[in-house]
Amino acid sequence: MQKQTLLACVAALALSPGPAMANGETIAVMTKNQTNPFFQAERVGAEKAAAQLNAKVLQYIPTQPDSIPEQMSQFDDIAVKKPDAVVMVPVDYKAMVPGVEKLNAAGIPVINATDRSAGGKLVSFVGANDYDTAKATGEALLKAIGGKGDVVIIEGVRGALTAQDRLRGFTDAIKEFPNVKLVASQPGNYQRLQANQVMENLLQANPHVAGVMAANDAMAAGVLDALTDGSSKALVVGINGTKEAIDAIKAGTLLATGDYNGFLQGCIATTIAIRYLRHEPIIDSIVMHPVVIDKTNYQPYDMPVDKRSCPTWDEIAK
Amino acid sequence: MSATTLPAPPRLALSSELMRISFRLLAVALLCVALSVASDAFANQANIMNVLRQSALLFFMASGLTLVVLTAGLDLSVGANIGLSACVAGTLMKSTGEPAYAVAAALGIGAAVGWLNGVLVAVLRIPSFIATYGMLWILHGLTYAYMAGSTVYGFPRGFRQFGNGFFLGVPIPVLVMLASLIALALFAGRTVWGQQIYAIGANPVAARLSGMPVRRRLMLVYTLSGLTAGLAALVFLARLNSAEADIGGSLTLPAIAAVLIGGTSLFGGVGTMFGTFVGTLLLTLVLNGMNLLQIDSRWQPLVTGVIIVAAVWIDIRTSGRKT
Amino acid sequence: MLDRTLPSQPALLARIPGVVVMLAVLNIGFAWASPGFLSLANLSNVLAQSSVLLILALPMTLVIMTEGLDLSIGAVLSLASVSLALVAVATGSLVLALIVGVAVGAACGAVNGWLVAWLRIPPFVATLGMFGVAQGLALAVSDGQSITGIPASVQAMYSGAMLGIPVPILLMLAAALAMHVLLYTTPFGTYVFALGGNREALAFAGISQRRILLCVYTLAGAMGGLAGLLLTARLNSGHPSAGIGMEFDAIAAVAVGGTSFERGNGWLPGTVLGVITIGVLRNGLNLIAIPSSLQVCCIGVLVILAFVFEAFSGVRRGEPR
Repeated sequence: MQKQTLLACVAALALSPGPAMANGETIAVMTKNQTNPFFQAERVGAEKAAAQLNAKVLQYIPTQPDSIPEQMSQFDDIAVKKPDAVVMVPVDYKAMVPGVEKLNAAGIPVINATDRSAGGKLVSFVGANDYDTAKATGEALLKAIGGKGDVVIIEGVRGALTAQDRLRGFTDAIKEFPNVKLVASQPGNYQRLQANQVMENLLQANPHVAGVMAANDAMAAGVLDALTDGSSKALVVGINGTKEAIDAIKAGTLLATGDYNGFLQGCIATTIAIRYLRHEPIIDSIVMHPVVIDKTNYQPYDMPVDKRSCPTWDEIAK
Repeated sequence: MSATTLPAPPRLALSSELMRISFRLLAVALLCVALSVASDAFANQANIMNVLRQSALLFFMASGLTLVVLTAGLDLSVGANIGLSACVAGTLMKSTGEPAYAVAAALGIGAAVGWLNGVLVAVLRIPSFIATYGMLWILHGLTYAYMAGSTVYGFPRGFRQFGNGFFLGVPIPVLVMLASLIALALFAGRTVWGQQIYAIGANPVAARLSGMPVRRRLMLVYTLSGLTAGLAALVFLARLNSAEADIGGSLTLPAIAAVLIGGTSLFGGVGTMFGTFVGTLLLTLVLNGMNLLQIDSRWQPLVTGVIIVAAVWIDIRTSGRKT
Repeated sequence: MLDRTLPSQPALLARIPGVVVMLAVLNIGFAWASPGFLSLANLSNVLAQSSVLLILALPMTLVIMTEGLDLSIGAVLSLASVSLALVAVATGSLVLALIVGVAVGAACGAVNGWLVAWLRIPPFVATLGMFGVAQGLALAVSDGQSITGIPASVQAMYSGAMLGIPVPILLMLAAALAMHVLLYTTPFGTYVFALGGNREALAFAGISQRRILLCVYTLAGAMGGLAGLLLTARLNSGHPSAGIGMEFDAIAAVAVGGTSFERGNGWLPGTVLGVITIGVLRNGLNLIAIPSSLQVCCIGVLVILAFVFEAFSGVRRGEPR
């Protein structure tokens, strides 16, 4: 019951429970790496959805984090193993297209999650809009600093779709506030340590930074660490809505984080996969509305991922 | 080098060592001057302290590695070792609230992993490249399984002081770095064990023939490398107030680079701890400079690569060392 | 000490190499554990997936035989990949793309060779430096992005088939054969062996060590370029970092295959088997769908075990312990 604020209703689709067709379907879930909590949340979401609907999930994660050739090999291997459907997060949204096409050729339905694939036949896409989320989060920061001052952006991995969209969102938010100056924009590669060191170094050149926009929560945490040492009063925002960020918001150190809910994406994508196999109605594209989590609305997010449960189809709609 | 005589103990080579270190110090000094000119933000106390603190992390990894390289070996698993040690120590500290457990865990696991590497290399005679590469994968697998994609964060204040605190105006990690630099330099340069390590690297056959317990020394060296990795893990934990499965991985190659830039030879028997310290400084200064000058960090690998080659080349020219 | 510049091939077969045992065990194990393993489609996949790595591991064997290492080959592959992708997108020509890829690779390799042979920089250091340079250039050329729009002619290099056999497998076979002939029948091959075990012989014979080294590294770079073409075809895009990490896989494959680091004795068939072993392991682990973290451990264990097998199987390839 937590996510009503995110999604509006589509009445017609919501009211057909349908007979439960073949149970025990196998869904292969492909994610990018084992280390990022975001993908772990997605995997847990997928498992929960499958458990609630009597299906099985097989997890495919590259042994080398974010390895493109490995994920490509996994596409090959999945095409041989022939699960009933595939939920996939491409390591590179352009480079994995041949893999998707291979699955298409093998007749396996593919649901795309998180990073929108640049090609291939997809049953559905489930994700958040990085641009909108970043813009909303950026605007929250800029409003909080009073619409003026120096601002720093810590970017994600250059070349990653999410990083590009978030950067655009941040910079467009800045454009709306003419008294705000962007003094630096450097990549932190979505890594805590790198963001920490980059922020430390940037603080030397720009000691009067008023606000920092970090493209993900791990980097925001790194930035916060860099700031606690000195006298800087800069406000910080991140994106992802991780537990750590929620705790920081509770503690008052982090201003806000953009919701980018891996658990939910995993849930919904897997639910769609199962419904598609059971010939139940689905939606071919679900883009979650941007939500900025801050001190006023963090309560629903303050629950560890494994304790949450997936929304039913009735609750899921655009 | 002749196969039948032990090389002269390192002290006699000190003058050429001094020369090489002087060159490197000169390079560091020049870099500092250049950066001061190029950016106003460089030459102030806070930034210098930052640079030193950032280099502390790298130095802890590179210091034990130096000992390994002195024996003509390599330890590719340091980064993964840090990951495992930090994650276990971090979760232990989080659940018990006692930093003491974390310290014991980090140092213990680090040393244990190092000891295992030593067994593979010294007892099973697997080339260090392969043994530590295989160990790297095994450690990663264990860490991924243990952490299951989560992050552990939020450590006790007192412990965090280890990473963020100051003492007499100097960041604590820097003081620890200097202390370990002195300790390890004395160990390598002034103790019998240290001299034996140099000898093993310079001429393993002669070392073995001379009755030296080569196997035990090698195991010691790898265990020390693991121990310093454990120390680095503690600094990571204190600095970042968190641990994730993949920390330390991105610093493995820079740590090796620091050792090489510092003048330690891959063939063993040549190099000093102080050289590694200077190499670490150089690399950290480059990163700091790039951030201050807003140079895209994608150029960092290229710059690092060029520096490595240049440093070693200068070494070879000035010391007349043959490959 | 055995004093030989050519391997005596009957002696190599005297003991079953560790890698063969390993490969057999893995095949049997996976075939039993997973029904899909022995299907033609799957085996064909394994071979095709191993093709890029094999093209890297073959010249790596030669480099290791000269007591060197090439840490840059993954980055060189990536640089070649983005360069040839740009050319392919602009001109639509497979031939031009191939030429550019191989040329870029060979150029990087030549620089490596120059650093090692003329400036006498240790191969680890020289190639580590080139790794950084190639990686930096690849990121700059591509702006960190994949380059798409690859023409169908290039794509066919991976997805096409001739006489029913997928093109990458044919390329693998061709490359392995060519290397085998080069190493075991030509004078050049003899010189490479000599560089590993018997450099004095080269000096006496008046052959320039430097030129041979330069050729070895340039060859490695050129094949890195070829591998870049294959990977670009596979991914249908040029990517600046898709090849990073493959250099370690290639080195591991060479070591698993039985080539010794120390005395430079190379066993090319061992490299081929080593690459296939790694491919079989990864494929099998995926098919039996064990947790990914366990897969990571298994790979490390395999690398170490392969060596332990070698050590305990007695004679190293042609050299007493």
